[in-house]
Amino acid sequence: MSKIMTVDVLSSIKGAQPSEAVSKLFEVIKNAHTTNTSSFNTNNNAVSVNDLRDDVVIESSDTEKQIIKANFPKQKKGYLVVSKVIEE
Amino acid sequence: MIMDSQIRSLHKKLVNKELSCTDLVKEKLELLKPNTNNTVNSLLEDSALKLAADVDAKIARGESIGLLEGIPFGIKDVYMVEGTYTTASSDLLKNYKSAYTATAIQKLLDAGAIPIVKENCDSFGHGSSSENTIFGAVKNAQNPELVGGGSSGGSAVNVAKGYTVFSIGGDTGGSVRQPAGYNHVYGLKPTYGRISRYGLMAYASSTDCVGPIAKTIEDIRIVLNTMSGKDVKDQTTYQSEPIPENAISENGSVKSVGYFKNFVESEAIDSKIKADFLSAIEKIKAKGIEVKALDFFKSDTLVSTYYTLAMAETASNLSRLDGTNYGNRIESENLKETYAVTRSENFSEETKRRIVGGNQVLSQGFSDEIYLKGLALRDQISENFEKDFNEVDIIISPVTPGTPPKIGDSLKDPLAMYLSDAYTVGFSLGQLPTLTVPQGTTTGLQITAAKDNDELVLKFANFLKDTI
Repeated sequence: MSKIMTVDVLSSIKGAQPSEAVSKLFEVIKNAHTTNTSSFNTNNNAVSVNDLRDDVVIESSDTEKQIIKANFPKQKKGYLVVSKVIEE
Repeated sequence: MIMDSQIRSLHKKLVNKELSCTDLVKEKLELLKPNTNNTVNSLLEDSALKLAADVDAKIARGESIGLLEGIPFGIKDVYMVEGTYTTASSDLLKNYKSAYTATAIQKLLDAGAIPIVKENCDSFGHGSSSENTIFGAVKNAQNPELVGGGSSGGSAVNVAKGYTVFSIGGDTGGSVRQPAGYNHVYGLKPTYGRISRYGLMAYASSTDCVGPIAKTIEDIRIVLNTMSGKDVKDQTTYQSEPIPENAISENGSVKSVGYFKNFVESEAIDSKIKADFLSAIEKIKAKGIEVKALDFFKSDTLVSTYYTLAMAETASNLSRLDGTNYGNRIESENLKETYAVTRSENFSEETKRRIVGGNQVLSQGFSDEIYLKGLALRDQISENFEKDFNEVDIIISPVTPGTPPKIGDSLKDPLAMYLSDAYTVGFSLGQLPTLTVPQGTTTGLQITAAKDNDELVLKFANFLKDTI
């Protein structure tokens, strides 16, 4: 089951169209010669499993919590207001 | 050899009570207030003056102060600093305040440096001229009719004008090195992972680097050492050794230098930049250093590989900006429409172009042909660098093929703007340490070494200072 999605929907940007300047860059890549397309190891920034950060909850400061709330775009009677999520 | 350093000279004046920290900070704030070159997104006046008063009180009590204590600096407006506006020069975040502080900035605060300004830049780092901003195009420090360069244009101009002692920019494809070159100051893109990206608004995570801009090599070294180190909040960071002052003062170890033939033979390069670059090469040869011409990828391949991967990454990174939890939400009839209207109205044309390009290459049917091939090309570019650094210690290159464009010209021709990044993006893809020095050509020279050899880059920069 495949559904075709256009770039404006994918990007959540109304009326978005592929740009001519960017398409020219992609053409260069399409026409380039590569020696190997199967492995990508050179820029491997993966983290070793022995070096992961501790899996613990870190409590935010009161200041941080206050600023996060102040940044919220819409508030009503002490609640943070978002659009209805389930619509379709 | 005693090296030039604005930080050391100001530190001495503060300790000897020749200058109070309050006066120093006030002087810089007064210089920034007229906003002559559109470098200021917001001033941190109250907090800066309070911190300065604390430093003065400490000195008055006879306590010792650290080298960076009381030194005023600027921050590109893409770094989180708790309680400050952090806009990314965008409409979407024009009223957004940071809830926490970036690791790199926190380390400078811990060392006592005083942030005085959040600096203008291309929105979300998307640009090479600092014209893609809601705060007005940044004007070049040497000639205000020309662009300040980008994306860290405000930071480079502030340093060049003496409005900040140093500034912290961000470099994804040249955004510290190119404006440093356009404004005749030093700008370093360290090895990827040397400085934590935590709290730097993400553009393209696999090449994003925190980078200092300053007027002297010693100041770059001091600030680099302060910000470096492993950080659990950015697991791509690694532990590095601080670079000692005496390690970079004399050039004993650079025996061979390479440059890319095709950069110089390109039709796009300005004839004066080419002649000056070749003349710099001759001066280096005259010092007994072997110079080798190296083969490299064509400029259009480098630029296309970089932009393909950077757009893919920025499309993912910026998908979080939908106005739900923060940002300038514009309500519409339902959730999806609210997302779409918020993003359409608040992102600039250049940012939209990059998001759409990124989603294109990540789509089924395009990803194999473009994105995966771009990754393969990036591997080949990195392998090429590894091979080169078996043959030479240092690679030098021009910073840009041309001189800074007039304000207004870059926005008309995005492809020309992308191609103007030809000499900087390769080193970003290779994650290599690269420094712009304000010498050699009118937009400077880049000095690059192998990964984690930032020390050699600074050492060779010192050598060049007295050589060309």
